Amino acid sequence: MSFHVSRPASGTQTFWRALLYTILIFFALIYLAPLYVMVITSLKSLDEIRAGNLMLPPLDPNFDAWAKSWSAACVGVECSGISRYFFNSFKMAIPAVAISTFMGAFNGYVLTKWRFRGADIVFALILFGCFIPFQIVLVPMATILGWLGLAQTTPGLILVHVTYGLCFTTLFFRNYYQAFPDELIRAAKLDGAGFFQTFWRVLLPNSLPIVVVTVIWQFTNIWNDFLFGASFASGNAAPMTVALNNVVNTSTSVKEYNVDMASAIYAALPTLIVYVLAGRYFVRGLMAGAVKG
Amino acid sequence: MASLEVENVVKRFGPVEALKGINLSADDGEFLVLVGPSGCGKSTLLNMIAGLDSITEGRIIIDGQVVNDVHPKDRDMAMVFQSYALYPNMTVERNISFGMEMRKVPKPERDKAVMEVAKLLQIEGLLKRRPGQLSGGQRQRVAMGRALVRNPKIFLFDEPLSNLDAKLRVEMRTEIKKLHQRLGTTIVYVTHDQIEAMTLATRIAVMQNGELHQFGAPQEIYDRPANTFVAGFMGSPPMNLIPARIGKNGTGLNAEIDTADERTLRLQLNGQADSVANRIDSEILVGLRPEAITDPESRDAGAIIQEVECLVEVTEPTGPDMLAVLRLGGIEAVSRMRSSSRVRPGERAKFAVNMSKAVLFDPETQQRI
Repeated sequence: MSFHVSRPASGTQTFWRALLYTILIFFALIYLAPLYVMVITSLKSLDEIRAGNLMLPPLDPNFDAWAKSWSAACVGVECSGISRYFFNSFKMAIPAVAISTFMGAFNGYVLTKWRFRGADIVFALILFGCFIPFQIVLVPMATILGWLGLAQTTPGLILVHVTYGLCFTTLFFRNYYQAFPDELIRAAKLDGAGFFQTFWRVLLPNSLPIVVVTVIWQFTNIWNDFLFGASFASGNAAPMTVALNNVVNTSTSVKEYNVDMASAIYAALPTLIVYVLAGRYFVRGLMAGAVKG
Repeated sequence: MASLEVENVVKRFGPVEALKGINLSADDGEFLVLVGPSGCGKSTLLNMIAGLDSITEGRIIIDGQVVNDVHPKDRDMAMVFQSYALYPNMTVERNISFGMEMRKVPKPERDKAVMEVAKLLQIEGLLKRRPGQLSGGQRQRVAMGRALVRNPKIFLFDEPLSNLDAKLRVEMRTEIKKLHQRLGTTIVYVTHDQIEAMTLATRIAVMQNGELHQFGAPQEIYDRPANTFVAGFMGSPPMNLIPARIGKNGTGLNAEIDTADERTLRLQLNGQADSVANRIDSEILVGLRPEAITDPESRDAGAIIQEVECLVEVTEPTGPDMLAVLRLGGIEAVSRMRSSSRVRPGERAKFAVNMSKAVLFDPETQQRI
C-alpha cells in the first residue's frame, strides 16, 4: 500500500511564497554586504584592492593583513600593532562589566526585596541616568577623574563605565526581581538565611537569564564605546575602538585598506562571539515574564 | 511543641486596618485553622506569627514568651507556602537541608535528618532532582519535608493544598492530618476552604475583613455559628436562613414563616424558646442546615420532627446524597436527603424539619440569639 502525502498548493500560493523569499533574501544580502566586503578586503593584497572590483572574492586569499594589523600596524606614530589595545579593551571591559552587573543585581535586590521608604523615588532617580547623554557628563567626569588621579588610566575608564552602566543594570535587575516570588525570600528568611546569604544562595543563582542579558548589553556598550575611551584614555591605556580610529586615520604612509578591515574585524569580534554564545539567553531574557511558563 | 497566644493583634497598612484586634490561642499540639474568604487577613496573621510581617499593636506569645521583636529565624517555626517556595536552583536534598545549613548543622547530621524526612514523606527517590522536574504533589511533599526536617515548635501552613487538583488535595489533606497525629506538633493552618478547616482542625478561627467572627471547635462552629456570616461560610451548601416571626403557641413559641400562597408555616421552637421569649412578634432568622430538612424517610431518628409541605424547584443528585432546592417561606432553601429519595422537581412534597438543630439569628445584628 502506498499513498502520497502532498499539500494542495495552488499556483498563486507558490508564487507569493517565492516572492516573499526573494524579498527576504534580497534584504538579507544588503544587510550582509558590508561584512562580506570587510572580510574579503582583509584577505586581499593591497595591489588587488587598488585594482578595484570591491565585491569580487580574493584571487589569493591570505592572512597577511591580519598578522600585520595584530603586531605591526601603526597606531598613531607607534607601529607595534593593535594587540596591546585589544587587551586594553579586555582589561577595561571585563572588570567594568562584572562590577556594574554585580552592583546592578544588588541594587535590584534591595529595591525589590528589602523595600524601604522612598525606594521607588530612588529607583526613578537611578533610571534618570539612562537618559543622560554621554556628552553632558564629559567635563564633570574629567574633573572627577583628575581629582582621583585616574585620568588616562584603565581603572579610570572602568569607573566611568561602571557609573554610566549602573543605571541600566539596575533597571534590568530591578524589573527581573520585581517578578521574582517574594515567598522564596520569605522561605529563606525562615530558613535562617541573612541578607547576604539570601542574595548569594537564593536570588543570584536564579538570575542567569537576566545576568546574561546584562552582560551582553554591558559588554557590547563598553567594548564599542569610543567617546569615553577617546576622552579619558587616549594614550597607552586607549581601548580598541580608539586604536582602530588611529590605525585608519594614520596619515604617515599609504592607506592599507586590508589592514584597516582586519583591524575592524578584530574590534568587532569579541562582541560577536559574546552574542553568539549567549544570544539564546538574550532573546529568552528579553521575553522573560511576557508569558507565564 | 509549643502553645501560641495572639493577643489583641492589630495590623495597619497606612490608614487601612487589615486586622482589627484578633484574640486567639492554641494549646500545645493543637491544630488551629484560620479560615475565611480571600482578603480576610488570615495570611497576614500567619505572616505575623512567623515574624515576616510586623505587628502594629498587640502581642504574639509563644510558650509564654512575647515574640513580637524576635527575628523569624529565631522563632523556631517552619512554614509551608502556598507556592511551595522551593529554591529552583537547588536539588530536593539541598532544599530540605538549606535551613539546617544556615544554622550550621554539620553535614552528617543534616544527611541523616534529610533521609529520615524523605522516608517519612516517601520522597527518597527524588532527592537528587530539582523542583522543576517534580509534579505538583511531589513539590508539595518536598515543601513539607523542608518544614518537617527542622523539627520546629510550630508549623505554619499557608494554603498548602490550593494549587493541587481536587483528588490530590483530598489525599494530602489526610496525610497532613496523619502527620499531625503522629508528630503532635502545634500547627497553624490557613485556608479558604471550609471543608479543609472542618476536617483538619481541632479549633477553627473564622475571619472576615480583618475581624474574628468565631473561634471554637469545628463541630461547635458548624452547629452553633456565632452569626449569619459564619453560618453561610461554613458548610456546603450553606445554612438556610429563613425569615420568620416569633408567635405564641399556647405555652410554647412558634417560628411563623409566611409563604407565597398566604399560608403560614408554624414551626415549634423547642430548646431555643427561652432565648426568644422576649421577642414575641418580632422578626428573626431561622438557621437550618440542609441536613435538618429532609424527606420524611431520611429524617433523623429520635429527633423532634415537624413536617411541612413545600414546592420542590430543583433536585441535584451528588452521588451519596440528593440536594433539593425548596420554596420555603419567601426563600429558596436547600435540603439534603438520601439519593434514593423520590422527590421530583415541580411537585409539592412533605419534608421533615428537625427543629432541635435550628439556630436563631437577629436579622438586625446578624448575631445568633
